[in-house]
Amino acid sequence: MTAYETVIGLEVHAELATKSKIFCSCTNGSDAEPNTHVCPACCGMPGMLPVANRQVINLGMTAGMMLNCHINRTTTFDKKSYYYPDLPASYQTTQWFAPIAVNGYVTIETEDGPKDIRIKQIHMEEDAGKLVHDNWSYTTLVDFNRTSVPLIEIVSQPDLRSADEVVAYLERLRSLLRFAKVSGARMEKGTMRADVNLSVRPVGSNELGVRTEMKNMASIAAIRRAIEYETARHIDAIENGTEELVQETRGWNDDAGKSFAMRNKETAGDYRYFPDPNIMPIVIDDEWYDRIHATLPEFPEVKREHYVTNVGLSDYDADMLTQSRAFCDCFEGAMAAGAAPKEAANWIITNCAGILNKRGMTSDELPVPGAALGQLIGLVGDGKVSNANGKRLLETLFDLDAQGEIIPDDIAAFAEAEGLVNSSDTGALEAVVAAVIAADPETAQAYRDGREKALNPLFGACMKQLKGKCDTQVLRNLLIAELNK
Amino acid sequence: MDRDTLLDLEHLNQLSLTSQEQDDMLAFFSAREADWETLAQIDTETVERMVHVRPMVNVMREDVAAQPFSRDDLLAQAPESMDGYWQVPQVLQ
Amino acid sequence: MSENTLFIFENPCEKAATDQLSIGLDDLILTQDMPTSAGSKMLAGYKSLFAARVDERLREAGHHVAGKVNVGEFGFDFLGETSHFGSVVDADGNLTTAACQLLADGAVDAVVGLDVNGAQARAAALSGQVHLKPTYGCVSRFGTVAVACSGETVGIAARSASDVQQVLDVLAGHDDSDGTSLPETECARITSNGFAEAASAGETFAAPITHVKVARGLMDAFDADTAQLMEAAIGALGEQGIAVSDTAPQTDELLAVGNLAWNILMCAELCNNVNRFEGMKYGYHTQKYQTIGELYTKSRTEAFGILTKTAILYGSEVLAEGNYDRCYDKALRTRHLMSEAFANEFADGTSSGQTAILLPACSKRSYSLADVEANPYLAFEENRFTAPAAITGLPAVSAGGVQLVGPAFSDAALLHLAGAVSCADCAGKEA
Repeated sequence: MTAYETVIGLEVHAELATKSKIFCSCTNGSDAEPNTHVCPACCGMPGMLPVANRQVINLGMTAGMMLNCHINRTTTFDKKSYYYPDLPASYQTTQWFAPIAVNGYVTIETEDGPKDIRIKQIHMEEDAGKLVHDNWSYTTLVDFNRTSVPLIEIVSQPDLRSADEVVAYLERLRSLLRFAKVSGARMEKGTMRADVNLSVRPVGSNELGVRTEMKNMASIAAIRRAIEYETARHIDAIENGTEELVQETRGWNDDAGKSFAMRNKETAGDYRYFPDPNIMPIVIDDEWYDRIHATLPEFPEVKREHYVTNVGLSDYDADMLTQSRAFCDCFEGAMAAGAAPKEAANWIITNCAGILNKRGMTSDELPVPGAALGQLIGLVGDGKVSNANGKRLLETLFDLDAQGEIIPDDIAAFAEAEGLVNSSDTGALEAVVAAVIAADPETAQAYRDGREKALNPLFGACMKQLKGKCDTQVLRNLLIAELNK
Repeated sequence: MDRDTLLDLEHLNQLSLTSQEQDDMLAFFSAREADWETLAQIDTETVERMVHVRPMVNVMREDVAAQPFSRDDLLAQAPESMDGYWQVPQVLQ
Repeated sequence: MSENTLFIFENPCEKAATDQLSIGLDDLILTQDMPTSAGSKMLAGYKSLFAARVDERLREAGHHVAGKVNVGEFGFDFLGETSHFGSVVDADGNLTTAACQLLADGAVDAVVGLDVNGAQARAAALSGQVHLKPTYGCVSRFGTVAVACSGETVGIAARSASDVQQVLDVLAGHDDSDGTSLPETECARITSNGFAEAASAGETFAAPITHVKVARGLMDAFDADTAQLMEAAIGALGEQGIAVSDTAPQTDELLAVGNLAWNILMCAELCNNVNRFEGMKYGYHTQKYQTIGELYTKSRTEAFGILTKTAILYGSEVLAEGNYDRCYDKALRTRHLMSEAFANEFADGTSSGQTAILLPACSKRSYSLADVEANPYLAFEENRFTAPAAITGLPAVSAGGVQLVGPAFSDAALLHLAGAVSCADCAGKEA
């Protein structure tokens, strides 16, 4: 029997993490109520002129550098025409003639060791709107919030050979884009999407088979299933002549586990590209190039190695932290503020992650600066804030951010103002201890009679009166001393 | 350009010409093809394409978001709308 | 001729003080308090949510915006004949534009419009008005209904060159919302003050025009009356002490094909820009439709005039994969060659004098409705005299029936010279 290999190339779209859209000043917020982040420009109304968002170019360059690409020092925008209700101007502004980045590679881990997947190009473009199909009225509803949200499209060479490699490639891209703060790259939110170009050929052949393109891949798991299905379909067609393979665009129905031919989008293929006369060329000089290059983060695996070898973290802790650039930034900031590495890692991996999880936030959304966490850890370590109140304090910092307020620089002062700092007034503690013993002489006597467990309700009553604001060890010692008088 | 390719072109541009208009259009296109022949006589090998008439580069804005427009105003002139959306006949996937 | 073919919408606000200019805006300029129709059934009554920068600047300067002036559909036609709201003929039965008729009637002091393909320059030349197409990038296009962005500019028509300059002083200036808008220092060069300062500083672009070159190679492209007018203009310039010589043959060759290249660029950009009008979001939409394709095709087919459809199809064709290199790319390179040819013609400019090129504005001295009915494509053929300025973005003044094209930022110098050729027109008409 003939052995076959699958030849796969990917086109990955990632929404760029900017505040505003690519050519107009609308907020980049496609999750909102329909058509609330729109203006005449992104609704296709006449009169507005495009002015490119500088941060989009910065992030496009960053992505190119992360993926080892050559950055085109002169890059231009072009118009691509087609009709579709989600494209309000009936053209998409994209890069056709001189994309921002070309000829890069991404290294993935495979069973046979590391493998380079070549990147053909990265180009910047605007996203289209969203269509909602309303089966009740048998109409399609159009939302332009996502229109003109900046995207990069990362086009790989057909270097991938299996679903495993595709998954490894996507995970690697996701990690790199997140680490460089280029994109949230969340497939489940649609901020990263992949089109899969796939063909099958006998092993050893140099010719490519008939290629099909699958669009609208919603998750990595779906992509894996789609590749496996499509590979089997191609081999079956070649071996058994079950159908004639044609070059076409196919959709993937994940529920049915089947791909299906998509109706051609009008007379697809000839998009009438031409250079946009309203957008001047972008010329990247050495100064700009170097400035962006200096902001590139260490690759996650480099950081991981550093955390284990030089910082002394466990493999587990280093893995957990390097999942997220925000975690790494917070961790390094906390250490710089004096926190012990193990302590800082614990607070992030356990407490911060717990709160994020509870609030349905991702690790990249960690709002607490490392300096703040470092101070907080210091306060707990010094016994100035109890462990429980430290966690409360952390939660309060999350609340501040959620309310759009700024997390203060001086965490000690903030904790004081919030009333979370232990009382350092021994006199006040002694008074509480005396009052508690006076109020419950029977339990006090029981302790004095040798029932050590009787200390607990007395201790609890003190804590209740003090609202938890004390160094528990100091309180315990005082209480025992008072009872033994 | 013949009638079939003209039909494709009409379709691509969401237009539908009458048969008389098609005749006129074919004559127009044939005159324009003569224009292309004339232009082909000019030696343009020595020059780059000129997209912009004034030499400027790096015209950009900072990444600052502005207040969005009112949805009601934007939808006010829509032929069909529903629940804050533009509404069109169902587009099949 | 009914009044409403001139104004599509008249500003109900009373005209105020006498020191204000009363200015009409052509209907490709978006206004917030008046609808903008772009001469098209597609946009009839369209209400913009924002106003054009030029509208803002005129009002801030205290001028009165008198109303929205009828234009041909998307402004690229020959003499406004394709307007959905009707064409305009003057008292002699000759075709003109609403803008120039309003000026001739004394109804407004100036009309500010979008000069896409020379219609107002031609109308001004035929009706004795003055029109300026300013240096590309000096006046913001923000808030204009985009048609052929790479070459179109805001244009000004008035009865005299000094009125044009007065309006230009208000309009010229940098705008962050237009990515092709030049820096403020460059925009200011074409204002009275900026020009005077530059002149005293000895800047070449502010030197008087002392030399006019005539494209003799184009002389067989117009009729005897126009040839006579050109000779009269040359004579008048000579009397002003201006040296007159011929352009180089290579320049004439390029001038002769400039409009072929411009038609390609203009139609491709027009096609792309009017793709957005499909009946879904606003504007005209067909009454009965079942599918999205039907909504698009019927709306566009019913709303666009035949010249617009012609431009759309031609513009789409020149961008097709098999045609791009020999059409669109060729036109972009031809534009470059023309710019270089003009630069060579202007190269003898110094701080004591610079050069302009003299062209007619059209090949005849009058046109009737029958002319455009007999040849609906005059906009693509008779634009050979206006296309050179459109494709290169150079300033052009149309006055006294002829046109002067000058170096970038020579706008005010061209307007100074317009007086001299205007007199030639009077002489020509008397003769």
